[in-house]
This record gives sequence, structure tokens and C-alpha cells, in this order.
Amino acid sequence: MRRYSQVSRHVGAYSDLPFWKKAAPLELVYVAYGLLVVALVVASYILGAANLLPHSPQEMDLQLLMAPPATAGHVLGTDFVGRDILSRLIVGIQAYFLPGLLAIGIALTLGTFLGVVAGYRGGRIEVPITYVANLIDSFPRLVLILLMVAAFKPDIYYIMVVVGLTNVPVVLSLIKGKIQFLKEKNFIEAAIAIGLKSRVIILKHILWYNCRTVLIIQATLGMAEAILVETSLSYLGFGVQEPTPSWGNMVQAGANYLMQGKFWPSTAPALAILITIMGFHLLGDGLNNILEGKRSK
Amino acid sequence: MRGVPILEIEDLRTYFFAKGKQAFIRAVDGVNLRINRGETLGLVGESGSGKSITALSIIGLITAEPGVISGRIGFQTDGIETNLLQDLGDYVHLKGKDGRVMEVHKDCTGWEKQVERLMGDIRGREISVIFQNPRSSLNPFIPIGKQITEAILLNSLIKNHHKAKERALYWLEQVKIDSPRLRFDSYPYGLSGGMCQRAMIAMALASEPSLLIADEPTTGLDATIQSKIVDLLQELKSTFTVTTMLISHDIEVIKRLSDSAAVMYGGTLMEYGPARDILFVDLESKHPYTAALLASIPSEKHIKEKAYLQAIEGDVLDTINTPEGCRFYARCNRVTEGVREKCQYHEPDLREISPGHCVRCWLYFD
Amino acid sequence: MGKTILEVVNLKKHFLQPRGLFSALRGQERIIPAVDEVNFYLKEHETLGLVGESGSGKTTVGKTILRLTPATSGRILFAGKDITDLSARDFRPLRKEMQMIFQDLDAALNPKMRIRAILKEAISVHQDINGSQVDRKIGELLEQVNLKETKLTNFPHELSGGEKRRVGIARALAVGARFLVADEPTSALDVSIQAQVVNLFKDLQKNLGLSYLFISHDLRIVELVSHKVAVMYLGRIVEMGLANRIAEAPRHPYTHILWSSLVDKESREASGTSSEGKSADWGVFDFERPYRGCRFAPRCPVYHARGRPEICINPSTEPQLKDIGEVHKVACHFPL
Repeated sequence: MRRYSQVSRHVGAYSDLPFWKKAAPLELVYVAYGLLVVALVVASYILGAANLLPHSPQEMDLQLLMAPPATAGHVLGTDFVGRDILSRLIVGIQAYFLPGLLAIGIALTLGTFLGVVAGYRGGRIEVPITYVANLIDSFPRLVLILLMVAAFKPDIYYIMVVVGLTNVPVVLSLIKGKIQFLKEKNFIEAAIAIGLKSRVIILKHILWYNCRTVLIIQATLGMAEAILVETSLSYLGFGVQEPTPSWGNMVQAGANYLMQGKFWPSTAPALAILITIMGFHLLGDGLNNILEGKRSK
Repeated sequence: MRGVPILEIEDLRTYFFAKGKQAFIRAVDGVNLRINRGETLGLVGESGSGKSITALSIIGLITAEPGVISGRIGFQTDGIETNLLQDLGDYVHLKGKDGRVMEVHKDCTGWEKQVERLMGDIRGREISVIFQNPRSSLNPFIPIGKQITEAILLNSLIKNHHKAKERALYWLEQVKIDSPRLRFDSYPYGLSGGMCQRAMIAMALASEPSLLIADEPTTGLDATIQSKIVDLLQELKSTFTVTTMLISHDIEVIKRLSDSAAVMYGGTLMEYGPARDILFVDLESKHPYTAALLASIPSEKHIKEKAYLQAIEGDVLDTINTPEGCRFYARCNRVTEGVREKCQYHEPDLREISPGHCVRCWLYFD
Repeated sequence: MGKTILEVVNLKKHFLQPRGLFSALRGQERIIPAVDEVNFYLKEHETLGLVGESGSGKTTVGKTILRLTPATSGRILFAGKDITDLSARDFRPLRKEMQMIFQDLDAALNPKMRIRAILKEAISVHQDINGSQVDRKIGELLEQVNLKETKLTNFPHELSGGEKRRVGIARALAVGARFLVADEPTSALDVSIQAQVVNLFKDLQKNLGLSYLFISHDLRIVELVSHKVAVMYLGRIVEMGLANRIAEAPRHPYTHILWSSLVDKESREASGTSSEGKSADWGVFDFERPYRGCRFAPRCPVYHARGRPEICINPSTEPQLKDIGEVHKVACHFPL
């Protein structure tokens, strides 16, 4: 019979470890990676906006066509007309960053608002909202976008509005579900009993305390999607046009040179896309598992 | 063949590892019990005392969480004795530093397989369990008659479906469900809490177990129904002599049904012995905790005078930070100066103060 | 004695249970009369105990009085003022005087808020109050409910059952309530903690002059704490009177059965009941079965003993609450 004992019996009341020590290490790696990516994106956006670039993205150095990475002054090399790839990548972020925020903004605000209305009031309002949400959800997104592009001008902001709208159903049903679940809990009744106004109850008790993690996660996933949409469109030629760089059109332009064995001009932006989207996805996933996963006491 | 021990628990310890606090939650911290054939043992305790975990440890329902179960549970049936905790320790590895446990790795599949090996034949057949909240213990999608029939086919020697059904009906009658033939086809949601509990009892007894473990069978039911279930258990006890381990925080229930009683606090036994010595209101000859518990129940006198009740000050013990001395010291109102130092720093052992009656208290060590 | 703080007149609360997909449209919903014509009054500094089994409607009465669910009809008067139809905005300032202690310990506190935040919110709902005053008030509250200061930084799931109950009480006091609806305050608690909570209720009534509507199915505790007791069955009050009278000499058959079925053998033997009513359980409270007349008739031993008199099940002669002695009312044609 073994005896299990501890030297220090007085562990200290409720000395809970902070959540980063409690979480599975893999999730922490995901989150760390994701945060790194976010930091890089934001930093690059700022650099690009302030025009603090190693080289001008348009400047062509015809002596140095398709130079490999780490050639004189060009960290990531040059493309097929001698433009610095790193600078182009940095500026390429401009193409999706703000529009992405627009898409997220629309999805979250509209989705939360409708979710709250449908969930809290229930009854007759809930049915039509859910119906319309399901309708929107069932449309293939890219088709809608292409329709948009065909009907109106191919402006990335219009496109992001559509992306945002098509994401509303997801946010809506998440928030609605949370609210319906929480409504049954007595602490909402208690909050009403002590005299809080409905508005305060919804904003504070439901959204802030209970929904914020979900919303943050949706934001990360939304950005990942925005990047995907924007790069896909510019790859297809519908988005940002040459010579303004966008990761998508960089891939497209470089593709012509693949046959010649010069894959770097196309691969560099493709890698950037991969790394960035993966970063946002892993951030969302990691946060989801850490914050929303089963908590142990 | 009374007097033969059916269940013998030696130094049972069930600890759960709280990763967040890097410490063991010592749910059951050294319990020794014995139940003889035909006897009903009442395990009394409040929440946090470890009584439910004791029951779960016996029937092997403690699986996935990191933690350890040590000790020996000897279960005797048909002359064969099995240790229900055999070799379970092999599936757990501890990582310690400076004598303090930092991590616990449990081979869950191995553990579960071993539990299956030990308990597979016994659970349901020789040891039956009734839980609190009968409605959630029954399958909501299957009528109760069918569930009982299924249990009979699985756990007893009857293999003929028709005979099993008859047996199920017989047991439904024994538990005094009204219109048993009608209720045979009812679903749990159509039955009241009391009827669901009767169905559970029928299911548990239908396999004619050597030991019945009843974990809070009356908690959660309405007051009138509680007393009816206790009546039923009393009747079944005299008709069928079922050896029972009855767990409850309701002292009235334990009083009416138990032959011997054990009082748990903070994961270990405070007092143990014949029920009539322990539970009836002679406050002098028992453990201060038992006495205080009995005193805090509203009596006729309290009610008539609308007096204040005698509460026990403080809160139930935190099972991570178990104190050095007696676990009840912080809330005990019978500490004298003579024993104060002993109570504070040294935990007393169980000491026999009269035949079969043991108490864990320095006041009784002269 | 004191003034009447609460008066409930002909209170009804019906729940609609839809019967099918289009039932709402066709108006064929089943009505469940959870609370059906309940009348009582409560005087200041007193406790009215509301007893009954599950399904009797006692929790619904409590929630309806506090307007957590709208009454179907009837009047609720608080301190003389009719609050039944007040708009939400007009009613909100009155909410602070009347609070509820919820039955479910875990669900009544926001699991993501620390105790300090919960109390602070309650304090600042109805009054503007600044930093140091909040701390002082929180200290006062903790002392009143006997809760340790170290618990302020904990979350609800880190507290024991008794402590959670006390936080609920502290929150009600923080708002400034003088009338509490206590919904099963001692169930789900251990016996020794129950005693603590009961003592706390008594202390608060003595020191702060609170009035309680004490809802419980634990007869002994209700008897101990209440001045008057009302017994409910399937939505109606069947007997109401002084606590001691109801326990010692109940006049309604249901009340008699309730008290005599206490698990403790001594009190059963003392009240001289035989266990002949050993027939099966009472079954689900079935609002579906149409009852006519007295709701208790199908299970009433007196009804059966008297050869099922017609008067008991005739809908037009449904027994009403009648005075049968000082402050004692019974709704029965053949009171014991």
C-alpha cells in the first residue's frame, strides 16, 4: 500500500494557477504563433501606411531581376521586374487590412444586435430573423461576391461588406444560442430583480461577461476569411490591379515564371498568405480551446 | 449466515489531482469499514465529507480524472474474496519534487481495463447501486419495464425473455408501484420522482445482489414521498434481508434504516458503531461532530419555542488544506484546555469506547 | 401590530402550453393554472410560510409577486400601493424594497463575476455611491451575513453552498430590501448549514425588521420560522393560519397528511397516524386530468371515507377559504 503525501499541506487558499499554466501546451503554441502573426500584420500595416519601407514597391531595378533572398539590400529578393518583394508584401497588407476590419465590424455588430434581439425577445421576432439568417448562410459566398463585382464596381470595400454580411448568420446564431442558454439561468432573473435595466443586463451580464470570448474568436476567423477572399479575388484579377501590389496578384503575376523554374516571385506571396491565414485560424482555435473549452475546477 | 463480512474496506484513500492548484483533493482520506451480511450500514456526512466518493470508489466509477485510489476493498461473495482495488496503483505515475506532487499521469485505458476485469462480473450482479435523482439514472428513451427486464437478462441466471419479464413485473409489485402492469410500459418522464425511484430499486434488487449501495436515495424527492420510500426500504429489508450500504445526509433516514452507522467528516471517519449508540439523542457519549449534527436538527422544542437552532459555526472542511490536527478542531465546541494542544496538532486515531463503538476524539483518550 | 406590507388579491397565473405546431394560431392552447386565486396578506416584521409540494405553485407565487413573470389577473399591493400594472420604468425604483432569494444557488450568481463585483453592482443600482462608501457598505453587508472578507475576491464556484446562499442574502440587503421572498432557502444545504441560515434569517428579521415570504417544503423549518403558514395544493391555498395551529391541529386533510408524513418516526407516532395510506405514490401532478370541484378530492381520504359526496366534485361548489377560528381559514367541505 503506497501512501501519497505532500510536504506542504498548506497550499494556500485558492491559489489557482494562471490560465497559461493550466492550458495544454499545444494550444499555447497556437495562440503564441497567432499573436505573433497579428503583431506582424499590424506592424506592417503601420509601416506601409507611413511609407517606411526598405524600398519603394514600384521601383524597378532592372539590373537585379528575380534575385534570390538576401541579395544586396533586398531581404526577400526581387520579382521579375526587379521590385523588392518584401516592400511589396508589406504594402500588400493594405489591400486587406482595413477592408477586413470592415467585414469583421459589420459581421460582429449586426450579428450581435440581431442575435440579441432574436435571443432575448424570442417568440415572433426570432422566427423571421432565423429564417433570413439561414437563407443568407446557404448562399455560396464567392458566387455572391462575383455577382457583386459584376454588378457594381470591383471595389474591395463593397466586397468586404458582402463578406461581412455573409458572416452575420454565424455570429447571430452563436450569440442567440448563448443568450437562450443564459436566459434560463437565474442570475438574469436576479439581475432583473435587483432592478437593472434590460439594456445593462444585456450589455454587461450577457455580452461582456459571457460572449466576449466568442466574439474575439469570430473576429480572428473573420479576418482569416477576409484575407482569403481578397487574395483569391486579386489572384483571379478582380481585386487590386497591377502595379499596386496585393498578395493575390503577386502570386498571379509570378505564376507565369513558374515554367521557367523561377518559382520565388510566386511562392513568396503564397507563403505569406499561408502563414498569415494559418496564424489567424490557429489563434482563433487556440483561444477557443483555452477559453471556451471545458474548464476544470 | 449473518455476521459474515461482505465488504471490508481498509484504509481507503481517494485523491483527485487538482492541476490548477498542484495539490491533491483528498476526497476520501483513510476510511475503514466493514459490512456484515444482512446488515445495513448508514454512512452519514455532509457535503464534502467524502461519502459519495467512497461509494463510487467501491464500484469503480472513478476513472478519468488524474488521481489515485489506494487501500484495499475486500468483497466477499460465494466464499471468494476479491480485492476491488487490485493493482490499480500500477496505472498511475506521480512526478514529485521535494516530496510534493507536481504532476499525475494516469493511464486511463489501462485503469479502465483493470477496473473492468475486477468489477465486470460483480457490478450489477453482486453489487447494485441506487443513485440520487432517479430520473437521470434511468434511460429516458426506454420504458421502465424494458429496462428492468434488460437488467435481469444481463445480471441474473434467467435467460428466457418471457421469464425475465415476469420477474420484472414481480419486482415492480414488490416495490409497491401502483398498477405495475400499466406502469411497465411507462417512460420515466411520465412517472413522478417517487415512482422512478421505486423502479430503480426494483432494477437494483432484481438481480438479487449481495450488496446494495444506496447513494442518497431520498434526497430530492418531496417530503411525503421520502417517507414512503423509507417505508419501502424498511419493508424490503425485512422481507429480503438485503445487505445495504446506505449513504445520506438526512439523519432521520439513516436512523430508521440502519443497524450500524458511520459518521464521516473531511474525508475520514469520526465515529463508527451500532446505530442506536450513535444516532440517538444522548449527546454525551459521542463524537462532538455527531453531537453537534444531531443538535442542529430542529426538534419539537425548538419549533414550539421558535428558538434559534444550534448551528455548527464555520464551514465544511476544505479537502485540500487538511489541518495538522483533528479535522473538526476548528469548529468543535467541546474542546477543553487539557486537550487543546493535542487537538490542534495531532490527529487522533479511532478508539473503541464501548463494544463495537469507535470514536476519533482526544476527549475519549484518558 | 405593524402595517400590512404585502397584500395579494385573487392572484392568478396561467401558463399556456401549446399543443401542436399551429395551436397558437388556432387558439387551442392548454391552460395550466399554476396559481389560481390566491389571497393573503403579510404584516411588517412578520414571516408568512408558504408550504406545498412541487407543482403546488408556491415558487410561481413568489416570482409573480416580484413581477419576474407577469400575473394573469389579480392585484398585488405593496405597502398599500398597487404594483400589478405599473410600467417597468415606474416599478424599477420599487424593486429595491422587495427582493428574492433564489432556490438555485449556482444559477443565481453570475459565474464570471467576483463576489465583490456582484455586491458592488447591487449597491450601486439604485443609488449613486462612490469608492470608499462602497467598501464600507460591503464591509457592513459581510458582517450582517457573517461572511469572511477573503471571499470577496472569489468567484461563485469557489464558494460553498452556505456561502453562496449568504451572498444571495447580502445582495438582497445591499439593494435595500425590506421584504424578501425566500424560495427554498434551506434546501440543497447540509443540516448544519441549514441551521446557520435559519438563524441568520431570524437575526436579520430581529435586527433589520425584515418581512419574509418563506417558501419551502421543509415543514419543520417553516413552522419554526413563520408566524403564519399557508398551505398550497395545485395552485390554491387550502389552509392558512398561525404556524403552531396548523402544525398541531390541521383542519384540511391535505395539511394533515403533509405533517404526518414527516420521516421522523417519533413525530409520526406522536400524531397518531397509522400507516394505512401506504398505497402507492401520488403520481405526477397532472394538470391534464380535468378536475372538477375540489382539486384534492381524488386523493382525499375524507372524501373516500364519506362515500364520495357529490358536493366535493361539483365545480359550482368548489370549496372556498372560510374562516373557522381566529386567523384560521380552510377550504374544505368537511374540515377535520
